[in-house]
Parts: sequence; C-alpha cells; structure tokens
Amino acid sequence: MVSCKIVNALYAAVPSRLFRDFLIRAHLEKCAGCQARLVSRHEAEALFIKPEQVGAAGDLWQKIDLRAGRETVAPRKRPAGLRWEWAAGAATFLVLAAASLWLLRDVQTVAVRADYARPADRFEINYINVGGAPAQAYIYQPAGSDMIIVWAGKNP
Amino acid sequence: MDERQIVAGCLKGATGSYQEMVEAYGPLVLSVALNVLGNREDAEDVFQETFIQVFKNLGRYDPGRSFKTWLLTIVYRRSLDMIRKKRRFSEFAARAKFEPAVMANNPGADAGAHEPLPSRFLTKLTPKERTALCLWANEGYTARDLSEVMGCSAGTARVILFNARRKIKLLLENEHGVLQNC
Repeated sequence: MVSCKIVNALYAAVPSRLFRDFLIRAHLEKCAGCQARLVSRHEAEALFIKPEQVGAAGDLWQKIDLRAGRETVAPRKRPAGLRWEWAAGAATFLVLAAASLWLLRDVQTVAVRADYARPADRFEINYINVGGAPAQAYIYQPAGSDMIIVWAGKNP
Repeated sequence: MDERQIVAGCLKGATGSYQEMVEAYGPLVLSVALNVLGNREDAEDVFQETFIQVFKNLGRYDPGRSFKTWLLTIVYRRSLDMIRKKRRFSEFAARAKFEPAVMANNPGADAGAHEPLPSRFLTKLTPKERTALCLWANEGYTARDLSEVMGCSAGTARVILFNARRKIKLLLENEHGVLQNC
C-alpha cells in the first residue's frame, strides 16, 4: 500500500524517537501489512531461553547463600582427639606469651605509632594526565578479586 | 506464598523468605540476564549481584509497584553494567595484546565472552533491544512495563521494541530465503 510505503520511508528518514513513536501508534501498530513485517511474539519466544530452562532453583539459592557469606551447610564436626590437640596448643601458647611478657616487662620499647591509614573503601581516580594532556583511563577489577588494573592512554 | 508475603518475610529478616524469593524469581532473573548477556558465567554474576542488591535495598521497594518489575529493573541495570565492564576490558585487552607480560597474568580472562547467544540473531540487537524483546516475548510486557524496567518513556520503549521486532523479522526472512535457495 502507498500509505505503508510513505510511513516506512518517514520512519527510516526521521530518527526522532518522538516522531517514530507517533508513526508506530498512528499506523504501524494498526496496519496488518506492517505488522506482518515484524516478528510475532510466538516467533520471538523461540529465540530466548525461558526461566524453566535455566536449572534448578535450589542450586541458585546456594550460589547466593555462599556469596552472601551465610553458609547453609552445617559446620563439620572435628574429631574429639583433634579438639584436645587444639586445647593443648592454645594452653602452651598462652603460657609462652605470659612468660615472654613477664621477662620483657622492664625492657624499654620504642614507641611506634601504629597510625596506619585504613585501606580505602573505594578506588577513585579524579584525573589522569599523560604527556601534559588529559588521557583516557580504563579501570578494571576482575570479579572476586581485590586487584584493580588501571590502564591510561593518550587521547587520540 | 505470594509476592507480598515473600517480601514481608524478607523485610523481617527471615532467612527462609530469602530462599523462597530466590527460588521463586531466580530462574526469571537468570534467564533475563542470560538472554541479555549471552553467556552463562556473566549471567550468573549478574544473578548473584542482583539478589544481593535486592536483599540490601528491599527497604526502598515501593509495595505499590510490581515487585517483579522492580527486580527486573535491577537485572537490566546490572546487565548493562556488566556489558560496559566487559567492553572496557576488551578495549584494555586489545591495547594490551602487545604486552605479553600483562596478558600472561590474565589467562582466559576473556573466556566466555564469545560464547554464542541463545540465538545468533540476538547478537544483531543492542542490549536494550534484546531486553525489550525478551521481556515482551517471554513475560508479555507492554511498552509501559518496559519503560519502567528500562527507565525511559513508554514511547522510547515502544520504538526500541519495534526496531528489535523488525530487525529479527528481516534476519529470519533472510535466513529462510537463503535456505530456500540452497
């Protein structure tokens, strides 16, 4: 049809979303010929993965739970013998620590101010200059890692 | 248990409700992320980030709105963030390809980036078009619903969806024509 051709030509020629929306509502949505040139819901459905195809929901919860740090799996019980070993080790450590403190009680220690800066909560770069000109910066942090890679390059 | 009960349970801090939420909406979130991103590894990252964000910010959810739409808004934003992050890294990797020392520290860092989308036709669409078409086809979303998820006007969502439908139809017709000529 002539009107369809005109509408489609106008749609292609004018890249304004407002105008295109008007054309869709005024003609393209209602015209059976124009609708036939669009993929139907049924056809589109076949292209996508559906929620029921992605796997068991229980597995999904475990991933979230692990990531959130709330392990749902019950903690493993240690054998009784191992507990005694831990207790003996801890007692020995405490005795040694007390003895060391008693022996060193008169030793003058150099006061060192442990005033270290806390690690930053977020990484931030305000400005990057390469060769005296503002440069492009790319910041990449691999998932699950504290490493941050900064790549700076001159503007072309 | 319905949407309101699950949300109310989560707001009270009941761990069981968190699990019910993931089991009820997890497949939807993962499928949308998978359809938008095209590979399982990234989709699972988005899936986890989405629910962690939902749990943290559930207090901000307006019960007057659809929870599903609010959830999908977060999935959509997270997916776009992931695409941007991947794009930035691709640019970095392209520049770093002459720096073997740098690349050797990241073996397989780009793995999965080239896995095929659910349908190869979908690679011809922009992420916004894929989102719009996926929610329209799978969830029956209208332009108004899409505008809520994508944070744009209903008119813009309608145009994005229209373009996506037209592109895919052309691709399908072209392939059908090629098959007939063979």
